Amino acid sequence: MEAKGIKKNTAIWILAVLVLFVLSIILGIIMRLNQGGAVHLEPGTFYADMTVHGITMIGIWFVAGMAGVNFIMERYVKTSYWANTFALVMTVIGVVMLWVSTLIGDFHAGWTFLYPLPFKIAWSAWATPMFLWALAVLGVGWLVWVLSLMAALLKKYSISQVFAWQHFRNKNPEVETPPFVLISMVSLLGVLTCLIAAVVLLVLLFAEYYSHGTFVNDALLIKNLTYFFGHTIANEMLYLGLAIIYELFPEISGRPKWKTTWYVAIAWNLTLFFVLLAFFHHLYMDFVQPQGLQIVGQLASYLASLPSAGVTVFSVIVAVYRTKIKWSLSNLLFFIGIAGWVIGGVGAVIDATISNNFLLHNTLWVPAHFHSYNAMGNVLFSLGFFHWFSVEYSKRKGQERLSSLKLSFLLLGGIGFLAAFYVAGAESIPRRYSSYPVEFTSAKLLATLGAVFATVYLIAILLFFSSIFKRCLNMVLQRS
Amino acid sequence: MQYALLLLFLVLAAVIALVFIIVYLSSAKSDDELKGMANPLQKRFWFLLILFVCLGIFAFITIPRSPYYLFAKEQPAKVVHVAAGQFFFTMSYKAINPDKPEGEMTIELPVNQLVEFRVTSLDVNHGFAIYSPSKQIVAQTQAMPGYVNVLRWKFKEPGTYTVHCLEYCGMAHQVMQTTFTVK
Ligand code: HEM
Ligand SMILES: [Cu+2]
Repeated sequence: MEAKGIKKNTAIWILAVLVLFVLSIILGIIMRLNQGGAVHLEPGTFYADMTVHGITMIGIWFVAGMAGVNFIMERYVKTSYWANTFALVMTVIGVVMLWVSTLIGDFHAGWTFLYPLPFKIAWSAWATPMFLWALAVLGVGWLVWVLSLMAALLKKYSISQVFAWQHFRNKNPEVETPPFVLISMVSLLGVLTCLIAAVVLLVLLFAEYYSHGTFVNDALLIKNLTYFFGHTIANEMLYLGLAIIYELFPEISGRPKWKTTWYVAIAWNLTLFFVLLAFFHHLYMDFVQPQGLQIVGQLASYLASLPSAGVTVFSVIVAVYRTKIKWSLSNLLFFIGIAGWVIGGVGAVIDATISNNFLLHNTLWVPAHFHSYNAMGNVLFSLGFFHWFSVEYSKRKGQERLSSLKLSFLLLGGIGFLAAFYVAGAESIPRRYSSYPVEFTSAKLLATLGAVFATVYLIAILLFFSSIFKRCLNMVLQRS
Repeated sequence: MQYALLLLFLVLAAVIALVFIIVYLSSAKSDDELKGMANPLQKRFWFLLILFVCLGIFAFITIPRSPYYLFAKEQPAKVVHVAAGQFFFTMSYKAINPDKPEGEMTIELPVNQLVEFRVTSLDVNHGFAIYSPSKQIVAQTQAMPGYVNVLRWKFKEPGTYTVHCLEYCGMAHQVMQTTFTVK
């Protein structure tokens, strides 16, 4: 009964993510249109739109990764249906609160709600506590979920097995740790760490809010905490997607399962460590931050990309090169997504170099690179999973139609949308501007182009949406 | 410099895209007998080593150019105090009183000489990004409440420079700016 419950929950997660994704893309297109001058929003409305777009996108692609990992984990261990359902309920409540606080309450401190901006209230007074409590609701729901999945893994595997330490020395250890288990555990532990940071952050913010300013926070400390949480969760959600790829890519391609080898084991253990230190690159332009941490930030940003690129990308390339593969929509999405992820990673490494960040920090280069590995990376990982899941478990099989049309639109729209961001970044055009001062002569044109290409991307998503949505809806409505 | 970075990015992105396309085509053309890649472990080793060395060289060259070390041993010819607030910049040659921030009407700075900016904020986080007369960022730092960030720079080109806020600070963030001249 529980396994069935998880399957149904997974279908509900997919439906919720798809609906919120389409709405958030529309919000994104409205932003680009406003920046291009085609529509005119009040600046406050624009920034509320920006805030809810950012936080919703991060939230849905995080839960998409979690839901996929939870579903696949059932192959190895028994997971908790109740934790999954609890997270689902808390996520729905949290998202409703977020949308109310921003779109009705007009809260617009950005998705990173950098202290002390949330307390300089320029919106309905109730919107600040509502936004922060929404994060608390999400945090509790996700903490329970993450802990329950970790507990499920640790019931079957010991600590050293779950991190595949026995693979470091021994080529054929008695107990093999599947790569999926290793990567899930590494990601879950990372998520746990950043959720704990989020709890500390929220407690400090609530302390100032409810003490009416008797207790005052330190801006530098809070900025460190904010980005430890924000940067880390945005990275770990990608790794959740990778865990799914390690499991499904060979399977869908009709190839033997990938095995954990010593270098896969070492690489992911290193990633676990380095990714937790990379967030310092968000504070490069705060010259009062201890300088040692700045250098750590640059080195950790480089080193976090080495193992994942060296191991994952290479594994995918080795698996495909001159090898007959059953190509389908799902593994094509995985394959293209990996390419998008790596290319975005190059943009990130360039910006994670302190002397470059001096010129690129908070320009549109930043949304350029993180949209690369999200909109053309992580989203494709999850779409690949959604598609596979919906076909595998629905009664309505049949040939997938319009695959090449969907992929062409996705690529054309995605690349055009991103190119407009990258060029604008090189032109020093700032991020998070509702409209551009006239001196930025190319800004409006680039924004309009971005909106046009993003619309093409949206069409591709709607095409995916319709087939996946129908199948998942059937699954949910089926009587068990 | 920004365009050089864009070019670097585009070249690397094109190479990566090409590799993925070639790999995909090699699979699509592949017949039933599975050839695969010869010596993948060895290739992986070399790939990682080269990547590691490249990144190492890149770090070695770039870290000493970090803004924290710029002109650290020299004496500034001019010191400018900057207090950012929602949604304005106050600039002065004298220290600024946070309770009564007053600045100069115009700021004039010498060309090719060392200028030191001491940047803080009176309310939320702001950015202090200096744009050249041709609207490219030449230098920046953050304005954080409770802290003073020290930015040193030598302007090579005379003209009117614009400062824009580069840390989102609320409703009028996009119009928060000021100017100064370099002669
Ligand atoms: C085609 C789809 C998308 C469009 C059109 C879009 C558009 C935008 C735009 C215009 C901005 C504001 C840029 C600025 O700073 O001026 C933005 C910010 C952002 N987007 Fe997207 N986006 C899309 C997909 C995504 C995806 C898939 C994610 C997944 C994580 C995402 C996450 C974010 C985040 C976190 C921000 C920052 C918000 C902030 O600054 O507070 N977006 N997006
Ligand atoms: Cu500002």
